[in-house]
Amino acid sequence: MATPVLTASDVSKRFGPVQALRGVDFHVGPGEVHALLGINGAGKSTFIKILSGIIQKDGGTLTVAGREVHFRTPEDAIRAGIATVQQHPELVADMSGLDNIFLGRETAGRGLFARIDRAGLEARAEALLARFAVPLDLRQEVGQMSAVEREAVAILQALAVDGIRVLILDEPTSTLTEVEREDLFALMNQLKTRGISIIYITHQLEEVFAIADSFSVFRAGTCVARMSVAEARESRVSLAELMLGEAVGDVFPPKAGAPAGEALLELEGLGRPHEFTDITLQARRGEILGIFGLVGSGCDELSKTIFGALPAARGTIRVHGREVALRSPRAALDAGIFLVPGDRRSEGLALSRPALFNVPLANLRRASGGFWALRRGRLRRDAQELTRQVALHPPSLTTPASGFSGGNQQKIVLAKGLYSQADIYIFVEPTVGVDIGARAKIYAQMRALARTAAVVVISSDCDEVHGVADRTVALHKGRLVAPAARGFSRDDLLMAGIMGEVAA
Amino acid sequence: MSRLNDHFRGAARVLGFVALVLGVGAVFALIEPRFLSHASLNGIARHMAANGLAALGLTFVVIVRKFDLSIAGIAAFAAMSMGALIAAGLPLWAAIMGGLALGAVLGAVSGIAISYFELPDIVTTIAVGSICGGLAFLYTGGRSIFQNFFQSGITDLNDARLLGLGVSLWILLAVYAAAWFVMSRTRTGMAFYATGENPIAAHFSGIATRRFVALAYVLCALCTVLAVLLILAESGNAETNKGANLMMPAYAGVFLGAAVMGGTSVVATFGGILLITMLLDGFALMGVPYYYSDGVVSLILLGGVIAFSDSLREWITGLGLLRPRAARKSENRA
Ligand SMILES: Nc1ncnc2c1ncn2[C@@H]1O[C@H](COP(=O)(O)OP(=O)(O)OP(=O)(O)O)[C@@H](O)[C@H]1O
Ligand SMILES: [Mg+2]
Repeated sequence: MATPVLTASDVSKRFGPVQALRGVDFHVGPGEVHALLGINGAGKSTFIKILSGIIQKDGGTLTVAGREVHFRTPEDAIRAGIATVQQHPELVADMSGLDNIFLGRETAGRGLFARIDRAGLEARAEALLARFAVPLDLRQEVGQMSAVEREAVAILQALAVDGIRVLILDEPTSTLTEVEREDLFALMNQLKTRGISIIYITHQLEEVFAIADSFSVFRAGTCVARMSVAEARESRVSLAELMLGEAVGDVFPPKAGAPAGEALLELEGLGRPHEFTDITLQARRGEILGIFGLVGSGCDELSKTIFGALPAARGTIRVHGREVALRSPRAALDAGIFLVPGDRRSEGLALSRPALFNVPLANLRRASGGFWALRRGRLRRDAQELTRQVALHPPSLTTPASGFSGGNQQKIVLAKGLYSQADIYIFVEPTVGVDIGARAKIYAQMRALARTAAVVVISSDCDEVHGVADRTVALHKGRLVAPAARGFSRDDLLMAGIMGEVAA
Repeated sequence: MSRLNDHFRGAARVLGFVALVLGVGAVFALIEPRFLSHASLNGIARHMAANGLAALGLTFVVIVRKFDLSIAGIAAFAAMSMGALIAAGLPLWAAIMGGLALGAVLGAVSGIAISYFELPDIVTTIAVGSICGGLAFLYTGGRSIFQNFFQSGITDLNDARLLGLGVSLWILLAVYAAAWFVMSRTRTGMAFYATGENPIAAHFSGIATRRFVALAYVLCALCTVLAVLLILAESGNAETNKGANLMMPAYAGVFLGAAVMGGTSVVATFGGILLITMLLDGFALMGVPYYYSDGVVSLILLGGVIAFSDSLREWITGLGLLRPRAARKSENRA
């Protein structure tokens, strides 16, 4: 094999009591698409942050093209030709997409007063955008953009680096959907033919076989395996097993045995202009209802309308058979509805606060007694029990949420939902960025919840919706596509969501 | 284990604060022995009471991640209003109630404008503050009000003692105790903090975030009125510049406390304002002219924020390579 473009040997990193990386050995060759796998908290993002100069390693060496490098700042890494899209890209919310892409690299000239060549920038951005077919208005402020659009801006920002040798993508597809994913893969193949190496992090294991040449598996802060995809295919190794270090069973729990109970949530003719129209649905106790919809199909708005965060323009919502006017999330929570929002970092968590603060937040009444005083002992016990139930790792109630890996942040939101003791749960994109082991646990949780509650799963991951739900519908451009008979097959569901048609 | 660790870290910060206060006190006592005199300590307690109340009010606003620059204006308007009420012959309690009611209204105006109408906090409070600063001249055109002050008993708030401590200090302690309980032991406190940390997530958790932002401004204005009331009690008259020296120490106390304690809280503000008041009084005693004091306080604030910032601490530990070595050792043991 050719000499690696990038190698790391014996790299370690500690965060306070957590040894995030211990002696990582890693390399990637020129023009190689290399997948980086591992369960939540395995240390993938930490490693990437070291490669991109965001944090500094405690020990070990890095080399680029055979020469040892020391990255003290992100600029150092970029100068060495390493461009990175972080797991949670930091963009400037009130600047346009275009300005974000070229932030800090606006001019060829140096100095404070070098002129900015706007027309040139726009042309360059359009050229980049043309290769990456995301419908995107780059003049829009990033703060107004959806998660997908922000991800696209971040990718364009990385690609705007001159002399790029290695492109690192930390879970780009977790927010992208089928269509954009295909675009991204095409783009990756293009870059690869130009000799650019790509390090690619994902929890969608089938993507590894679709796009990667080779992969490394991280477990508990070390690299436990590295092999080529061809090798893996031949020897039929299970990626999930490598990641978890143990055999895995089915990801999806068995479907409901008993028939569903009474309807807890009924939507009738629900609509909001330009977002969704005429949604009539029932969610019943004892079953999981799955709604499959691509980004932009109105799923997110629908979930927020049911949760009282957006007003319904028409139609009615009935809870326990009684019509309710949900004017705020408070009203929805009081009616027994809990939303696990799609954008957990901005909608679900107080990031600088620990689990002990976040878990009770949606049901402060349960956490307090006379004089509104917190019952701190009980709260701690409850929080401990719930974080154990969702398998939070590390099982700390006092670490700020920002100190958890992406998947574990989702588990904190889940624990918060369990604490609220609702009887209608709406999950939006519940397993974005969650590893396969934890995903199985979350699905099992949903199944357990569905025994006494109604569960609605809204997701742009067709396999997820089909795998976990007892009954599925699709949302296409704001319209509901429901199956004629009992339910959709996986392929019919996909068709319904993407094309808006029911197969004959 | 991690729980013990947290307690330990919290205790370490409090101890650090106590050490800082004692250290500053010792330095002043060495330079100027009068610092420890009865009169000086009494003065610190009185100034602490007024500064502390203003800083507590600001604490609520800072917790919901906003600013309030109307403190001086509201203080001036409330001072003259209470003075006018006293001069008109109303009993003291009625004058105080009048002042508090005025404060509540003014705080509500800013609060509602900022939370429900989404006006920018800094501009709004500067405007409200300036308007109040002007309205303070309404009653006398700027002349001092002192009629009836002595008879009204307001000076007792300054002079009277209870169990050896001044009444103003008791007021401070009572208000702080109540605020501490609400902010760190009740669900109301959690709602305040959640609103500041992430208003969207708080809203999605069913918390009426706008109400809490508005409430923070009302509480801030109420505390400001109490603070200026103590200043009136000390001076025995009402003047339009009575609140002028409340704002800077309040900000310094809140942010210095937050820097040392690792977050904004009632306890942090208490420590911060204690330190700031000691410094201000100490410098005054040493003859540093008052017009330098704001500058000195700002300098100390800046120094404190830098000294306790995380990135600087990391930089220093990085220099000594203390942490990696310790880390390696504990790893070997594991
Ligand atoms: N800033 C931080 N402070 C404290 N601990 C941290 C911090 N960042 C990461 N960690 C810890 O380091 C470990 C590795 O986290 P990392 O984010 O690298 O995981 P990951 O493999 O990217 O997981 P995911 O798939 O969920 O994104 C985790 O245990 C995490 O809790
Ligand atoms: Mg990660």
